[in-house]
Amino acid sequence: MEINDTENGQPLFLDVSGLEPPEPLVQVLARVDSLGSGQYLHVRHHREPCLLYPNLEKRGFDYLSCGNDAYFHIFIWRKDDAEAERAVRAAIGELCRG
Amino acid sequence: MKVTALSLEQTPPLSVPLRFFLTGPVFAVAAAVILLWHGHAALDSRWAPPLLAATHFLTLGFLTMIMAGAIQQLLPVLMASPVPRPRLTSAAIHFLLTLGTLLLGTGMLTGRDGPFLGALVVLGASLTFFSATVIHCLFHARSSHATVFVMELAVTAFLVTVGLGLLLAAGHALDSVPLFRALTDLHFIWGMLGWVGLLVIGVAYQVVPMFQLTPNYPARLMRWLPGILFGGLVVWAMGLLFPGGCYWLKWMGGAAAIGSLVLFSVTTLRLQQQRRRRLSDVNIDFWRLALTSLLAMPPLWVAKGVWGLPQADLLLGVLLVVGFAMSVVSGMLYKIVPFLIWLHLNNYMQAAGRLGEGIPNMKQILPSRWSRWQFWLQFSALLLSLMAAVWPEPFIRPAALTMLAAFSLLWWNLLEGVRLYLRYTGGGQAA
Repeated sequence: MEINDTENGQPLFLDVSGLEPPEPLVQVLARVDSLGSGQYLHVRHHREPCLLYPNLEKRGFDYLSCGNDAYFHIFIWRKDDAEAERAVRAAIGELCRG
Repeated sequence: MKVTALSLEQTPPLSVPLRFFLTGPVFAVAAAVILLWHGHAALDSRWAPPLLAATHFLTLGFLTMIMAGAIQQLLPVLMASPVPRPRLTSAAIHFLLTLGTLLLGTGMLTGRDGPFLGALVVLGASLTFFSATVIHCLFHARSSHATVFVMELAVTAFLVTVGLGLLLAAGHALDSVPLFRALTDLHFIWGMLGWVGLLVIGVAYQVVPMFQLTPNYPARLMRWLPGILFGGLVVWAMGLLFPGGCYWLKWMGGAAAIGSLVLFSVTTLRLQQQRRRRLSDVNIDFWRLALTSLLAMPPLWVAKGVWGLPQADLLLGVLLVVGFAMSVVSGMLYKIVPFLIWLHLNNYMQAAGRLGEGIPNMKQILPSRWSRWQFWLQFSALLLSLMAAVWPEPFIRPAALTMLAAFSLLWWNLLEGVRLYLRYTGGGQAA
């Protein structure tokens, strides 16, 4: 697992693709709580983390996900944070285009 | 490497699979007690009553019991097809399967018609109800994964096994029904290679990449392998039913069925070599023990056919039941049970608004030190059972004792996980 930490509104990145269940979920939930205004968390996973989504919704987070050839990418931000959502849509378009 | 999604939000109540998982090891302990009590007399012949009773406690009481619980967990999660009224359905199947297996074992040990008749009715009801439930769910499955097709084949093999078993039981219990002992081989082959083998393959397609972090099984293999195994069993059955002129059918069918299991073993062992993380894991050790047991089968099967090796039947039985099936099932329990307990604890804490309290991780739920001990006991029980198949007199009681210790410890390990769950939930309202 690798983490690129945040500094002044930069995105957080978490690679959980080498972890066995339920460790990816635990790591992501531990991380999202520290999201600030305008920030989002970008998670890279080797499978679609179906268990993560209802957990995020119950905790007040929104998400978007996409898959490219190798991985699933999940972008998570606080509900009603329009600035973070705009940033996610730009990032996800670039990552999973086509 | 992307892996298909599961529907974990559809997971049934924890009590649905757990009642089966906690009952299975008790039957394995009972089988060990029977062998311990009767000693080498249990291995006098393959028709010896204690051996028949112990074998059915292992195949029905342990394997089918745990597989029935696992299927009720997997149908909603893997196939997005929930079992209707899961608590009531699982309680009914569990009660009838437990009672029916006890009656069958009693009938075999005592030779009395009453328990056989009871087993015929109760097991017949339980296994028919279980099959109907699985068929209903498979019919409504919303997943197109290869596992759905494999499960359909596995259930068909199960129906053949149950049908033959009931016919054999009727032969024991009813004067009007002749006892077709020649069907016993067919009953065993369809049960172990068909029902158990196919189900293990279908579940492995999903569980091995998910929990062992391996690449996916090759798509072409996933599609063809189960069909070849099933077709091989059909041809093998024709060879057994029509002996004399159809000797080659037996060999051809057997080679296709056993060959496909060998291919499955080699592929799985190769995938496990490509794991993302090479950490020591008791689940992997159990799988390797199971797959190695499968790989030891072909030379023994050939030796039996060519030289008529007298101990080959018993050795093949031990390799398939104790070496392959029971090892895979124990290995899977060590992954599935802590994962389910964690999942239900997480849901419970979330519903109770206790998110900040933290949840024990998988290794805290089932500590690896004790599961490692249990693995070595089960491994020793297999070695001693193989030796007892050749030299019953000195080895049968040590084998039975080790088996008793191994499955008592498996039961205790699982129970510790459940107790931890109950401690956190204050009685398990969420179960």
